Amino acid sequence: MQTLIPHNADESRRMMQSLTNRAKPVDRRPMNFVDRLYLPAVLKGMSITFGHIFKKPPTIKYPEQTREFSPVFRGLHVLNRDEEGRERCTACGLCAVACPAEAITMEAAEREPGEENLYREEKYAARYEINMLRCIFCGLCEEACPKDAIYLSETFAPSNFARKGFIYGKKDLLIPNPVTQPEEYAKAKGKR
Amino acid sequence: MVIHIDNKEYNIKSGKNLLEACLSVGLDLPYFCWHPAMGSVGACRQCAVKVYKDENDTKGRLVMSCMEGVKDGLYLSIEDKTAKEFREQVIEWLMTNHPHDCPVCDEGGACHLQDMTVMTGHDYRRFKYKKRTYTNQYLGPLIHHEMNRCIQCYRCVRYYRDYAGGDDLNVFAAHNHVYFGREKDGVLQSPFSGNLSEVCPTGVFTDKTLKEHYTRKWDLTMSPSVCNHCSVGCNTIAAERYGELRCILNRYNGDVNGYFLCDRGRFGYEFVNSENRIKRVIIRNRAGEASTEEELMQHLQPLVSMSKIIGIGSPRASLESNFALMQLVGKQNFYQGISEDEAHLNRVCIDVLQSGSVHSASLKEIEQADAVLVVGEDIWNTAPMMALAVRQAVVKTAGAEASQHVQIPVWLDSAIKELAQEDKGFLAVLNVSASPLDELATHAWHATPDDLSRAAFAIAAYLQPGKLQADNFSEELTNQAKAIGEALKQAKNPVIITGVSSYNDNVIKAAFDIAASLNTAGRKTGMACVMTECNSMGLALMDAPAFNHAMDSVRPNGHATAVILENDLYRHLTPNLVDNFLNKCDHIIVLDSLHNSTTEKASVLLPAATFAEGDGTLVNNEGRAQRFFQVIPNADTQVKESWQWLWKMQMLRSQKVNGHVLHPDELLQKMETDMPQFKGITSVSPGHDYTIHGERIPREPHRYSGRTAIQANKNVSEPKPFYDGDSPLSFTMEGFKGVPPSWAVPFFWAPGWNSVQSVAKYQDEPNGSLKGGNPGVRLLQDKKKENADLFFKDVPEQFVITKDKWLLLPKFHVLGSGELSGYTKALEVLSPELFAIISPKSAEALNVKEGDMLQLTDAGIAYGSLPVKVLDNMCDGVVFVNAGSRGTVGMNWGTRINLAKVN
Ligand code: SF4
Ligand code: SF4
Ligand code: SF4
Ligand code: SF4
Ligand code: FES
Repeated sequence: MQTLIPHNADESRRMMQSLTNRAKPVDRRPMNFVDRLYLPAVLKGMSITFGHIFKKPPTIKYPEQTREFSPVFRGLHVLNRDEEGRERCTACGLCAVACPAEAITMEAAEREPGEENLYREEKYAARYEINMLRCIFCGLCEEACPKDAIYLSETFAPSNFARKGFIYGKKDLLIPNPVTQPEEYAKAKGKR
Repeated sequence: MVIHIDNKEYNIKSGKNLLEACLSVGLDLPYFCWHPAMGSVGACRQCAVKVYKDENDTKGRLVMSCMEGVKDGLYLSIEDKTAKEFREQVIEWLMTNHPHDCPVCDEGGACHLQDMTVMTGHDYRRFKYKKRTYTNQYLGPLIHHEMNRCIQCYRCVRYYRDYAGGDDLNVFAAHNHVYFGREKDGVLQSPFSGNLSEVCPTGVFTDKTLKEHYTRKWDLTMSPSVCNHCSVGCNTIAAERYGELRCILNRYNGDVNGYFLCDRGRFGYEFVNSENRIKRVIIRNRAGEASTEEELMQHLQPLVSMSKIIGIGSPRASLESNFALMQLVGKQNFYQGISEDEAHLNRVCIDVLQSGSVHSASLKEIEQADAVLVVGEDIWNTAPMMALAVRQAVVKTAGAEASQHVQIPVWLDSAIKELAQEDKGFLAVLNVSASPLDELATHAWHATPDDLSRAAFAIAAYLQPGKLQADNFSEELTNQAKAIGEALKQAKNPVIITGVSSYNDNVIKAAFDIAASLNTAGRKTGMACVMTECNSMGLALMDAPAFNHAMDSVRPNGHATAVILENDLYRHLTPNLVDNFLNKCDHIIVLDSLHNSTTEKASVLLPAATFAEGDGTLVNNEGRAQRFFQVIPNADTQVKESWQWLWKMQMLRSQKVNGHVLHPDELLQKMETDMPQFKGITSVSPGHDYTIHGERIPREPHRYSGRTAIQANKNVSEPKPFYDGDSPLSFTMEGFKGVPPSWAVPFFWAPGWNSVQSVAKYQDEPNGSLKGGNPGVRLLQDKKKENADLFFKDVPEQFVITKDKWLLLPKFHVLGSGELSGYTKALEVLSPELFAIISPKSAEALNVKEGDMLQLTDAGIAYGSLPVKVLDNMCDGVVFVNAGSRGTVGMNWGTRINLAKVN
C-alpha cells in the first residue's frame, strides 16, 4: 500500500521530487572574479528589459480597454427586471439563506393594486441590501434565485470613500428599465 | 405493546394508530389529513405503510397508517418499496394542481407540503398541462386566502367546524373542484380562525397581519413567551426581525393551550410596535422632557429618598416587577393597582383553590372533563381558549361514550362523529348573558349574579343535603338543581368554572360549594376561576391591600411619592378615586410601555419593556407560573424591564452602588424565601447561567440569514450580537442544537420538518406532553388542609329590581377586550363599539329606544353617556357596558347605578 508518510531520509528525498523538469538546482559555488565584477549580470538584466520594448505588452490599458470575461465571471450584483421593466425579485429570501457570507437582507412588501407594472409578482422587496464588504462573490445567490432576479454582472472594482458606500441598496442594484432606458439596460446586463 | 417497524422492535402505548406510533418513536412518515388534536379521517392517502401478517409474510398489504390501530406483535414497514412509491405518487398527484409558487407564498420555509414533498422524494415535475385555478375570497383582516394552493386534506373545515364550532367556513363543489371557503366573501366569524394558518398544511390560509411585515420563519429571532391578553396564559412564540415584533405563533403546551391560540392572543401583538410606545425617559415640568439615564438618576435621588414611597402594583406586570416594587417601597406600602372589589374576588378565588378541597383545573383537564358547569363567567369572551377547551370536553365525552359501546378507537374521527351524531357531553351554563357556548349546553340559564349564585347554591344543596338552608329555593331552581346535580354526580371528572367578571363573590362561593361537594373519593373534581388579566393571579397571591387603601396611607402628613407600575389606573378604578390619590402625591413616577391616561399624570415616566423586550414570570388562573423570554434586543434604547428600573431606584434609595447586575432568577429566589405562597417558583426556569454542555440555547434557527447585512445600514463595523444576561437563551444562531428543555423552546424545528408539525419531535407522543414535562410550575397545591371546611352557607337574597337603579356589569368581547390587544388594527375593527346594553323592559322603564343616549351616574361619579342597545335575552334590572377595550374606563362594576335618558 502506498503511503504518504516517509519512513527514512531516502524515501523522504524521493518524495520531495519536483513536479516538473523545469526546476533548477541552486548554484552554490563561491563567486569567481567575473561574478564579482557584477557588470555582466547587470548587462544581462538590462538586455532583457530592453528586449521587452519590442515585444507585445501583456497588460491592457484599463479602464479604457477591458478584457474578455469568461462566461462565468462573477462581478457586482444586479437585480434584474423582466422584458416589461417590472422587478423580478419577489423577496423570497432564498438568496439570503444561500449566502455563505450572510451578506444579504431584505424586507418584503405586498404589491398594491395598480402596481402591476412595477413588480412582476404579488410580493416584492421593499428593501434589499447586500453588504459588499462581506460578499465573497461566490454566486450562490444567483444560483438560489428561483425568479432569475439576481445575477452577478461583469461590473467590478467598485470604489468609495467610506465603508458605508459598500452597503448596496436597491437603488445601486436595480438594473435600468429595459423599456425606458434600453441602452443603459443593455450595458448593465452585459453579455448575460 | 411491542410492534416491529422495519424489523426493529418498538414499545408502543396501546390505543394508538400506526401513524402516531411511528411518530412517537421519532420516525418520519408523511401525512396531511391526520392532526394530533383532531384524529384521523383517511382523506389524503399520504401515510401509506406496508403491514404484514406475521414475520414470514413478505408480500404484506398497503394500509393508511392513520386508519389502523396498533396490535401487539404487529409487523410494518415504512421503507418498503411499494409503500414509498405509493406515497411519492400521491404527492406527485397533489402537485399536478399545486401552483409551485413557494417563493411568493407566505408558508414557504414553514410548509408541511414542502416538507412532505421532499420527504417522499418527489422532485421532478412531469405534469405539463394547465392547472386548476380558483378565485380567492376576502376572509377579513386576520386571515389571507389563496385557494390555488389547496391539497384537499379537509383539515381546515374539520378544525373550523368540528373542533372550533364555527359554521361559516365550508367545503363546496366536487371532484377536482372542491373549494374551501365561505359561501361568499366576508369576515370569518370564529374567534379561533387564526389557527387555520397553522392547521392548513399549505399556504391557503395565512396570517394576514404578518403580511404587513413579512419574514420567513428561518429569518425570525424567536423566544418562548406567554400570551398577555387574558388570564389563561397560553404559551406562545414571539418572533422578531429588525427590532420589530413580526408575529405570534403557537407554542405547544400539553397542559395549557395545546396546538391552538385564540385570535386575541395570536393577533394582539401589534402594541409592541405601536407609535404610542414610551421609548424614552421623560421628566416633566422642566425644559427638555427627554432625559438621559444619568439625569434621571439625579432627578430621582431626592424623590426616592423621601420618607414615604407608595407602590402601586399591576395585574399585567410580571411577578418580578411587582416584587421589585414591593422591595423598593416595603411590604406595608405596596398596593394592588385594582379595585377593592376585584381584589376581594381574586382573594376568594385563591382561598377556595388553596383550600385543598378542590383541584385547580388546567385547560387540558377541562378538555378531558366529562361534565362541565359554568357559573357566572362569560368564558367565551373572557377566557376564549377555555371556552374552546369546554367545547372539546362536550364533544369528546360524547365520542368517548360512543366508542365504549362499539369497538372503535377514539382517534377514528369520522366514525366517532357518525356514532355520536348529535350527542353531547354534559354542559350547563348559568350566566348573566348569552354566548355561543350556550348552543352546546344541555342547560343554559340566564339571570343576575345573585340569582345565579342562588341557582348554584341550590345545586350544592342538592349534592349535600342539609348543609345549607335550602328551603327558600323556588321550585324552578330546585328542579334545575336536581337535573344539573344529577348529571354532575354521574361524572367522573367534572369541572366547575367560575370567575370574577360577574363581580359577585357569592357566585364563586357557590361554585366552590358544588365543586367541593363533588370532590369525593372516586371522583376528581376540577375548578377554574377566570380572572381579568394575565398576572391577576400572581398579583393576588402577593396578598397586598387593594388600591383604595393606598389613599389612607397618604393621608396623615401628605408628602408622598407614588410609583405606579405598568398600570393604567383609570381602567381599573373609577376616575374620582384615582384623581384623588394622584392629587395627594407630590411626585408620580410611572413605569409603562404605552402612553395612557395614567402616564399623562406622571411627573417622571420610565419606558418599561413589554413582554417582547423583557423577561419575567406570569401566573395564570390555574396558578401556573410561566416564564416569558425577551425577543427584541433593547441595547440601543432606554427601554428596560420594570424590575430593572426599580432595582436601580432601590440602589439609589439605599445608596448602595455596588454595580451588581440583577437577574430575574435572583428576584424569584428572594420571593420564594419572603413569601411561602410562591414556593417552587424558582423552578419555573433554571438560572440565567444555565447551559447545556456549555452552550446556550439559540433564539435563531441555523438558517437565519443576513447577519452581516441586517445592521449594516446602521453601522458597517458589525456590532457584537446583543447579549442577554438574564436567560440561558442567546441572541444568535450558534449554540445548543437539539431539543432544548421544554421551558426554553424558542421555535419548533427538526431535520426535514420545517413547519409547525415538527412539534411531534418535541413531544413524548403526539398530543402528549413535551419531552421532560410541560413547562410551568403550579403554585396552588392540592393538599387537603386539616379540618378546613370551607363550605359557604350564606345564600344571598333573590335579586330585586329597584325602580331607578340598575346593576352595572361589564360586557367583555372575545376580540375587543384587552387593553394591549386593542392596538392591533385588525382586532380593533372587529370589536364592538361601546354601548349601554339593557333589556326591553328596562328600555321601556327608561323610555329609551335603541340608539338613544343614556347618562350613567353613580353616587356623584358621572361616567358620561353611552348609546343604548336593547338585547332581548337580557335580565331586567341590569345594565351591561362594553368593557376591557382600549377606550374604556374603570367603573364600579357590580354596584347599582343611575341611568337617565339624555335629551
Ligand atoms: S455572491 Fe455569494 S457572498 Fe456574495 S451575496 Fe451572493 S451568495 Fe452572498
Ligand atoms: S433575488 Fe431571487 S432569491 Fe433573492 S429574494 Fe429575490 S427572488 Fe428571492
Ligand atoms: S385549505 Fe388547507 S387545510 Fe383546507 S383542505 Fe386545503 S390544504 Fe387542507
Ligand atoms: S387571550 Fe387568553 S385564551 Fe387567547 S391566546 Fe391569550 S391567553 Fe390564550
Ligand atoms: S394522514 Fe393518513 S390518510 Fe391522511
